[in-house]
Amino acid sequence: MKEIPLQAEVKAPKKFKVSSLTKTRKRSDYLWAYLMIAPTMLGLIIFYLWPIIQTFYFSFTEWGAFGQYEWTGLDNYKRMLEDTNLLKSFKNTGIYIIFTVPIGIFLSILVAVLLNQKIKGKSVYRTLYFLPVITMPAAIAMVWKWLYNSDYGLLNYLLSLIGIKGPQWVSDPKIALYSIIVVAIWSGIGYNMVIFLSGLQGIPKMYYEAAEIDGAGPIRVFFKITLPLLSPVIFFVSIMSLIGAFQVFDLIFMMIGKSSTALESTQSIVYLFYQYAFVLNDKGYAAAIAVLLLIVILIITVIQMVLQKKWVHYD
Amino acid sequence: MERTKQLVTSKTFLIHFILIVGSVAMVLPFLWMILTSLKTYAESIHVPPVFIPKDFQWGNYKEVFGLLPFFKFMYNTIIITELRTVGQLFLCSLAAYAFARIEFPGRNFLFLLALTVLMVPGQVFLLPQYMIMVKLGWLNSLQAVIVPGLFSAFGTFLLRQFFMGLPKELEEAARLDGCNHFQIYWRIMLPLAKPGLIALGIFTTLWSWNELMWPMIVNSSPESMTLSVGLSSLQGQYLTNYPILMAGSFLAILPMLILFIFLQKQFIEGIAVTGGK
Amino acid sequence: MMKKWLIMLLTVVLGLLGLAGCSDSDKASGDAKDGKVEITYGFWDKKQVSAIEEIIKLFNEKYPNIKVKTELTPYGQYFQKLETAATGGALPDVLWMNGAHVVQYAEGKVILPLSDMAKKDNYSLDNYSKSLIDLYTVDGKVYGIPKDYDTTGLWYNKKIFDDAGVPYPDDTWDWNKLKEVAKQLTNKEKGIWGYAALMGNQGGYYDFIWQNGGHIISKDGKSVGFDQPEAIEALKYNISFIKEGLSPTQAQMTETAASELFSSGKVAMMFDGPWMVPEYKNNPDLNVAVVPKGKKRAVAIHGLSNVIAANTKHKDAAWKFVQFLGSKEAADVYAKTGTVIPAYNGTQDAWKEAVPDLNLQAFIDGAEYSVPLPSVKNTGEIWQYETDILKKAWSEEVSVEDAVKELTKKANESLSK
Repeated sequence: MKEIPLQAEVKAPKKFKVSSLTKTRKRSDYLWAYLMIAPTMLGLIIFYLWPIIQTFYFSFTEWGAFGQYEWTGLDNYKRMLEDTNLLKSFKNTGIYIIFTVPIGIFLSILVAVLLNQKIKGKSVYRTLYFLPVITMPAAIAMVWKWLYNSDYGLLNYLLSLIGIKGPQWVSDPKIALYSIIVVAIWSGIGYNMVIFLSGLQGIPKMYYEAAEIDGAGPIRVFFKITLPLLSPVIFFVSIMSLIGAFQVFDLIFMMIGKSSTALESTQSIVYLFYQYAFVLNDKGYAAAIAVLLLIVILIITVIQMVLQKKWVHYD
Repeated sequence: MERTKQLVTSKTFLIHFILIVGSVAMVLPFLWMILTSLKTYAESIHVPPVFIPKDFQWGNYKEVFGLLPFFKFMYNTIIITELRTVGQLFLCSLAAYAFARIEFPGRNFLFLLALTVLMVPGQVFLLPQYMIMVKLGWLNSLQAVIVPGLFSAFGTFLLRQFFMGLPKELEEAARLDGCNHFQIYWRIMLPLAKPGLIALGIFTTLWSWNELMWPMIVNSSPESMTLSVGLSSLQGQYLTNYPILMAGSFLAILPMLILFIFLQKQFIEGIAVTGGK
Repeated sequence: MMKKWLIMLLTVVLGLLGLAGCSDSDKASGDAKDGKVEITYGFWDKKQVSAIEEIIKLFNEKYPNIKVKTELTPYGQYFQKLETAATGGALPDVLWMNGAHVVQYAEGKVILPLSDMAKKDNYSLDNYSKSLIDLYTVDGKVYGIPKDYDTTGLWYNKKIFDDAGVPYPDDTWDWNKLKEVAKQLTNKEKGIWGYAALMGNQGGYYDFIWQNGGHIISKDGKSVGFDQPEAIEALKYNISFIKEGLSPTQAQMTETAASELFSSGKVAMMFDGPWMVPEYKNNPDLNVAVVPKGKKRAVAIHGLSNVIAANTKHKDAAWKFVQFLGSKEAADVYAKTGTVIPAYNGTQDAWKEAVPDLNLQAFIDGAEYSVPLPSVKNTGEIWQYETDILKKAWSEEVSVEDAVKELTKKANESLSK
């Protein structure tokens, strides 16, 4: 590898460059650029961007049994206004988000902060907390469904040892959603913990040293220094978690069956989408649901972005 | 001196206590999964629960293989994950380099266009993608799962960040050597963006392995199912026969578990990086 | 450093293998070089896998050049997957069909009419009972070759009866007796229920409704009979077992399947079909009796058939296979392994004798007073409504009266489509 030329030497030749040479170089640049972005851009257009437009189109159609469809205008959207199932699924998803995201983030920060202290065995803990992240949701759902089994599951047995008759965790419409929320938080802590840990490690030590000199206790340090400096990471994680939580499907699909009494009180928006699209073959209506979901997520993300100015610190 | 030592140890004790309680909660389900997979059905529904089965029922694992082609599922999932990961690493880095290092007309517009994909929830793409697969006759094939997953706006965005952070001098030097853009990308930039590549690689591998909805929609024949879909099929056949379901679950997570044990550091660092950028 | 190179090498090798594997799987559904043809056979019951494999072996003795690849999909996903596959022209070549869906598939032109092919090859349709042929006849054309038929039986656990000193069920039993014995056998301390009041139409509340003199679909096919007093009474009787603590609750049966509770000795009695024989025959505690009578005797009768997908690329091979599946040889395999009651006339006795320890005559008797499972164009939709609405009655969330009112309204809408 040749030595990197000095700044002066690099700058000088530019003054004398012939304009046509620059033009050919620029053109070959452009050619290379288009070539290099071509596969990805083409792929994105064919499989992602054009489908967005198609889904919008499909949302104005109704589908027959084996693939035929016809234009029906705003029918699907009108139907949405009266669909109690859809309303319920929004409510379910909303509850899911309200509990999963804040609690999950709080616990992940907590674990990350604890792991950031001077203690032994950090990597062991890190690995253990990360285990649920590498496990597929289908498998997680199955083992938790078993733990939650009202008659033969471990959880209710442990409760019976201290004299409590455990409820029907996944069959009782009133609590099934919360049982799922617990599993969601459990499986997500490790992921966000790792991100927060890296964020914590990015906080310059001088802040902590200064606080120590001032005689600040650990709680004050946490709220006045750690949290504000961590806020950009918290912001990023909360947006990603929110968008992810809106789309919850796997856990609910695997844990709640079609004939379960808890179905209506746990169905998420995407679960309903799947039902309409691939079980009931009502693809037009499903497309409308997808469009609705898109709009809702966009609005919420915009709101978050606007609010970020109020609480996120950038230095 | 004595007093600070005392404070340190009790604080450390508290931290360890909390962490240990959490760790137990993390690991317990897995232990229960393995133990249950080795019980007979009667043992599994016995009240009070049987913790350690009397005889290890390895037959449960045999039964899982006997009914559904689990090896095929594993094979399918490995191929799909591998090709999607390698594909994304190559195609996204190629595009990311161009977006980051070359100034060309339409650059910002095209990049923003790609970013819109990030803003949209996956379900909006699903139906049309499905119709494409139907028209191409790709239902129940591995391509149906692989091909859309080769293109990622997220991967392009992530790697672009990395490429933007590399010094311009390297490029200038290579130009003077007579390298074209591809050579600069391949020989110089790519090796330097390794942390980003590893991060994207791990992220894509994890996501691809665990994916359920899309593979389930396009591949419903046992021949082309992935592990996640296979598990849901297992649940359909065995309903609530938990020893067998647990055996199937354990088999499904085993490959990723093994990979994780060997590449722990990379996994964790990789995920950390996706958050940081 | 070494580890990373190893991983990269592994990646490339696996990738190449994968691409090679990709092209192989494409060949799978096409024709291979030496005149061999491969067809796929789709079905849902894992208990019938070994019988089917034996039948395929016999088929290959006659036709060694037709390879049959089986495709097992759980029942809960079977028709969903078929609809998806039908849209994409990717149905298995030969597949199981049931009465609930045949009209929709025939009218949607995704399965082939077989009457002409049968006539051309002199394949006699007289070997099967007329009601089964009728079940699969749509617009005057036969679409499926009957495979089996099933009725309902009262499965019971001898050991639980013995322990409680109660005599086994016999043909004098009626609704009152069933309830009475269920009460005697329910033992909360041992965790045993007398009867599993599973929510299901075939072999469940349909049977009870018919036994009580009600109907499911009216003679003119324009309305359902769920809101009639006979049906309401039958449904209430069915759910009363749960209400009185003699049966696991709906939630419990969702979390732990009734059939599994039954085979592990936690439930004394339950209705189920002959398809459970391959599994239950290995349990010496189990036996089956005829279903108790209500105002009269009635059980549901239904049978599956084999049909050919319209999009098949191997019509001849598929038709040859379907003919063989409907032949006496195939029926004999089903019979002697005790898998299901074959539809082929005259082979039923062999089935009965295949498992002498079980009182399989109960199912054959059932055929005499059986009522065919109703089948209309939108049967699938109506069954969906039944599940969604009746499950609330089963979990005692809504009253039976309210549930049937809603169900009748929705089902009548489906019938009018």
